[in-house]
Amino acid sequence: MSQQTRRNAFIAVFLLPTFLFFCLFALYPIAKGIHISLFDWSGSSKNKHFIGLDNFRELFNDPIIWTAIKNDYFLVVGKVIGIMLLATFFAIAVTRLRAAGSGFYRSIFFIPNIISVVVIGVLWRYVYNPNLGFLNSFLSLFSKEPVQLTWLGTENLAMWSLLWPSIWAGIGFYMILLIAAILSIPAELYEAADLDGASQSKQFWSMTLPLIWGQIKISILHVVMTTLNGSFIIVWIMTEGGPDNSTQVMGSYLYQMGFRQYHMGYAAAIGVLILTVSLITTLILQLLLNRDTTEMA
Amino acid sequence: MTMKKTLVYGMVFVLLMSLMACGSNNKKSEESSPPATTSVTPSAEPSDSVVEKTGLTGEFEIQYFVGGYGDAWWKEVIAAFQKANPELKIKESAGPKINEQMKPRWIQGTPPDVVYIDGAGSNERQMIDDGQLLDLTEFLKTTTNVDGDKLTDILIAQPTAYEGGKNFTLPLVFGSWGIFYDKAFFQKNGWTAPSNWSEFIETSEKIKASGIPSLIHTGVYPYYINGGLLDSAIVAANGGDGSILTKQANLEAGSFSGDAVKKALGQIVELVDKQLIDKGSVSLNHTDSQAQWLQHKAAFIPNGLWLENEMKKDIPVGFEFGFIPSVAQDAGKNNIVIPYTNTIAIAKDAKNPEAAKAFLEFAFTKANAVRWAELTGALMNIKADLSSSSASGVVKDAMAFFNSDKTTVAPVAVLNADVEKVKQDATVALTIGKINADEWIKRLEDAAAKARK
Repeated sequence: MSQQTRRNAFIAVFLLPTFLFFCLFALYPIAKGIHISLFDWSGSSKNKHFIGLDNFRELFNDPIIWTAIKNDYFLVVGKVIGIMLLATFFAIAVTRLRAAGSGFYRSIFFIPNIISVVVIGVLWRYVYNPNLGFLNSFLSLFSKEPVQLTWLGTENLAMWSLLWPSIWAGIGFYMILLIAAILSIPAELYEAADLDGASQSKQFWSMTLPLIWGQIKISILHVVMTTLNGSFIIVWIMTEGGPDNSTQVMGSYLYQMGFRQYHMGYAAAIGVLILTVSLITTLILQLLLNRDTTEMA
Repeated sequence: MTMKKTLVYGMVFVLLMSLMACGSNNKKSEESSPPATTSVTPSAEPSDSVVEKTGLTGEFEIQYFVGGYGDAWWKEVIAAFQKANPELKIKESAGPKINEQMKPRWIQGTPPDVVYIDGAGSNERQMIDDGQLLDLTEFLKTTTNVDGDKLTDILIAQPTAYEGGKNFTLPLVFGSWGIFYDKAFFQKNGWTAPSNWSEFIETSEKIKASGIPSLIHTGVYPYYINGGLLDSAIVAANGGDGSILTKQANLEAGSFSGDAVKKALGQIVELVDKQLIDKGSVSLNHTDSQAQWLQHKAAFIPNGLWLENEMKKDIPVGFEFGFIPSVAQDAGKNNIVIPYTNTIAIAKDAKNPEAAKAFLEFAFTKANAVRWAELTGALMNIKADLSSSSASGVVKDAMAFFNSDKTTVAPVAVLNADVEKVKQDATVALTIGKINADEWIKRLEDAAAKARK
């Protein structure tokens, strides 16, 4: 056996467990989900009827799924912009600008990340409560009449009301990632820039941002993936997709169809749609974001 | 040996042989026949009952959801059933997540023998559609409980008929939707509890003038306003004939668009137009809206009879629960009760159907109904005298309505899950003025037509 063959065998032995786990916990569930999407099945019985692509045909004629896709992308765009702007700003503030109490702010901003999303949803539901909530009470301080906005019950407001807790809950995690990236930039570079008279703004645009761009790119991809796959929880806790399906996202609609209305085949078809949408979105983002960091400098 | 002695010995021999033969026949009979059902004499305290051995053998499994009603009643009845059947190996599968936990067993075709259908993850109609429940039609026609009462004679709500009159489930819990208010709060403000629609509007206007909305509801779960207001309005507008709800459950074309439905929807629209509904309701779930109602942020709330029990930890001092089954009827017309039930059933693939049937006969007694009221604060679906029981005041009030000549109890009608969802969405859209009555009707007729395919 040649050295190369022994080396390959060695690698294969170490990769095999990971590969098996990947097959068992990633590929098999995906394949199973695709398989179920081809059936008319309640999800609670042994009776399954093969119907081919009928679930997908019905799905594309279902107006609620289009609302759900629109809402998912509203959250994706809103969270990417909101989280990345705020996380970058706070990361710079507590590292480069050395704002007073940096350590304290790091902890404060990270707190939402150690709270369950379910708790966050319940907490914000109380903040938005039209009669007893903090937000309306606060706004009423600046108004002659008591403010009684129905944040989660007014269609135009509801998605915005869901967006903010999602941003709030995400800032800390990405801020920590970006702080780590900023701190990995050699201090000598900034010392040299200071000696050359570069302003803080110039240093940010020409040094910090290009050098942490890799981390920002990964963060954006992570925000997009977690939003498309995970916005279900906050939506379900706060509105259950209502009123009248106006805040439905793909995940909540999947749950609704699978576990409330007993159309598991249809729910699996929504799952396949989520997978496809996530893959396409990631590929497009990879193309858009895949810039050489040195080009930015 | 004399003739006399010979005759005596002969008679004794024949007698002994006859006795042996009888004993032998009995044993044979026991072995070949299916296990006999119970002949237990129940009492108000089943667990302490003196019972006789019934011969039920083998394994018997019961699945029951543990939610707001707790598990005390189940523990007591099952313990008594075990005492009555010492040879029976009883297994209890119970808990707040039991429906999800047992789902793989139902899918694999190895379900428990008896299932109490309640809680998240359970759906009676879906189980019937999936062919998972035993047809109880013939059993219910003749069966008597262990007291000797014909079961269907003592039920408050009869079993729901599916697929041309077949019964697959037996209602165990009986409750009613309705409108709740605080009697003490009303007395303090000089408001009168309404008994018809015009009084309801009149009182609501007074309440609104006092600075609070008349009605708050659980907008996130619109089936509360459907059950507590709209359905009774539909039946009232249909001259008190509840068959319209059965027609809707059977997805009959036109059952969502008749004059009765239009009149009832018009009543909801009237509430919207007169701004009598709390604007924030649409975003509230049941606990939020109930908490606000308890704090007098609104005067009326459509809800179910479980309300007092569910909120018992948050009820302010002096709060006095008042219950009205319906407000939508015209003056002088009957109250309409929209009942809800939680049912019990036998699995089609039950391993011990005889024991399952015996358990139903054992559980559905007046004594157990009193214990249910005492242990859960709710009503079991058995006509029983609760006057001396420790059941809650609101439950006793409700019982008074059920027994009144001026009350019509509508049939229990379970909508197809897809149509139910459309109905909920449409009703909540109607309450916020997003759609009008015609659009509500179109949505429901379209959904029913789709479900009929």
